[in-house]
Amino acid sequence: MRQIEGDFDDFGMDTISLAGPLEAKLAAIRGAGFSQVMLAARDLVGHAQGWRAAVAAVKASGLRVTGFQVLRDFEGLSGHLHAYKVDIAKSMLEMCHALDCRLLLACSSTSVHASEDPQVLVRDLRKLAMLALPMRIKVAYEALSWGRTVNQFPQAWDLIAQADMPNLGLGFDAFHLLATNTPLHELELLEPDKIFLVQLADFMWNEIKSVEERIATARHFRVFPGEGVHSQDLAALTLKLHQLGYRGDYSFEVFNDDYQQMPLETVAQRARVSAAWLGEQVLRRSVPLPNRMRLKQPAR
Amino acid sequence: MTNNQSSVVEREAVDEEPNPLGLDGIEFIEYATSKPQALGQVLERMGFRPIARHRSREVLLYRQGDINVIVNAHSSGSELPEQPVISAIALRVRDAAAAYQRALERGAWAIPARVEVMELNIPAIHGVGTSRIYFVDRYQEFSIYDVDFTPIPTVDQKPPAIAGIHFFGIVQYIGNDRTEDWTEFYAALFGFAVLPNAHRFGILPKGRILRSPCESFFVQLIEPEPGVLDIEDDECLQRIGLGAADVPVAIEALRGRGVEFFSSGGPERDARGALSRTVMGNVSFELVHNVRDSAPG
Repeated sequence: MRQIEGDFDDFGMDTISLAGPLEAKLAAIRGAGFSQVMLAARDLVGHAQGWRAAVAAVKASGLRVTGFQVLRDFEGLSGHLHAYKVDIAKSMLEMCHALDCRLLLACSSTSVHASEDPQVLVRDLRKLAMLALPMRIKVAYEALSWGRTVNQFPQAWDLIAQADMPNLGLGFDAFHLLATNTPLHELELLEPDKIFLVQLADFMWNEIKSVEERIATARHFRVFPGEGVHSQDLAALTLKLHQLGYRGDYSFEVFNDDYQQMPLETVAQRARVSAAWLGEQVLRRSVPLPNRMRLKQPAR
Repeated sequence: MTNNQSSVVEREAVDEEPNPLGLDGIEFIEYATSKPQALGQVLERMGFRPIARHRSREVLLYRQGDINVIVNAHSSGSELPEQPVISAIALRVRDAAAAYQRALERGAWAIPARVEVMELNIPAIHGVGTSRIYFVDRYQEFSIYDVDFTPIPTVDQKPPAIAGIHFFGIVQYIGNDRTEDWTEFYAALFGFAVLPNAHRFGILPKGRILRSPCESFFVQLIEPEPGVLDIEDDECLQRIGLGAADVPVAIEALRGRGVEFFSSGGPERDARGALSRTVMGNVSFELVHNVRDSAPG
């Protein structure tokens, strides 16, 4: 008999932490006791039997899809570049919709071809949210710390507030906050209902000195919360978000080259330890919340 | 000079005009079904008359007064549902091409045109669920039906409306927590405005009511009952609302034609509105007390 332990239904893994085919990733995540997964577009389009088969595999896994990532460099373009990006966005939205996923992650533009005019950025973000709206998809806009115009979450928040679309909110990646030493009290300006996703990751260095090092760390050397040297900061951040009233999902956005060459179960188990630490010790949950649905194991 | 002109708009936030598309009511409502004859009978009981056939597809035009209802049984690839669904609304606008372009610029999804030879290319965008929203600008001197439809011989092309029934609005079922989303959709793309909660029509006051910028019709957004778990994407255009100056008279006339209504709570309630019993699994009509300012031409 499998004992239900811990309460971390709102924590999920991200497929980018794991190597191997989609089905193996889903099984490992499910096997570690998670009920949700953050998917990347290439999980679908890279599937050997095509993206529709990937959608079927996700549905068969019984895992809920936390969100779908990632639309890059959407805002601020003009002319044919804008039209091209609208097509990319529509294609991603269609896949997201097919997954019954209700969240698309879009990160701030790094493109030197993009406008820096806030009015243009706001107009484009509104348009993206409108494209997602009939499909019942929310757009979480995230400030990449190496974004060209928007590189800290208060700037992203400012555009989101100006755009004033009900289905446009903030995607919040803790890595960028820690890496740029953004003070926690900045979080207080956020409306918790407009934080659509929180991504958590730790890393091993005490300090990041350059943008180049930040990009390299973000893409290759992240670890699960509790495994790096910023555990206390992550704990404080998670508590702060909870105090602000955030009750949405947490996803482990852990890009790590070493994890890519470890057995999937081992990596998923590390994620589980991390989730249990956050759920039980940081947020101090002792019993499952009442009325939370628990997923059944999928039929074998 | 053009630079100067644009800077005025940027600096002083000139509001867009309240009716940006020149919206001017509904041109037609379209149902899709694989049982067009059964639905035709339902419509005829409601006082509609079949007046024209589409030139190339299995599509019929029904009319009473100034309400046009299209019954589309032409399956284009995907199978049509037996239970009729409201598959399209056509909005009358000042300039269909401009309205379409404006909607696309703001993030609407275009519907690729599938036009046969010599037929009109009516631009459309995606609406709720699988429905479409058409833009029509030819409704005064001549109509879209003149081109695409052949009148059914000997039939009065302008059948009068039963008890002065006119188009009043459309009820849209939406998912949990979707009221703000759809309010934004209709506001940003067409200029609809939210009516205050105290302002209600008829006997079914739930949800939120949006008024068209031309002030001639309404969209009512209704979320599921609290506590209902909604997992499926079951958002749709649910029913048509018809206005009548004297609802009890309209009920009486329609009952005489075989339409059944849910029993009301008395004459006072009858005077405000009524709901017809659902037929064919999915089709009902709502009557709402409404006096038109000017008689339709």
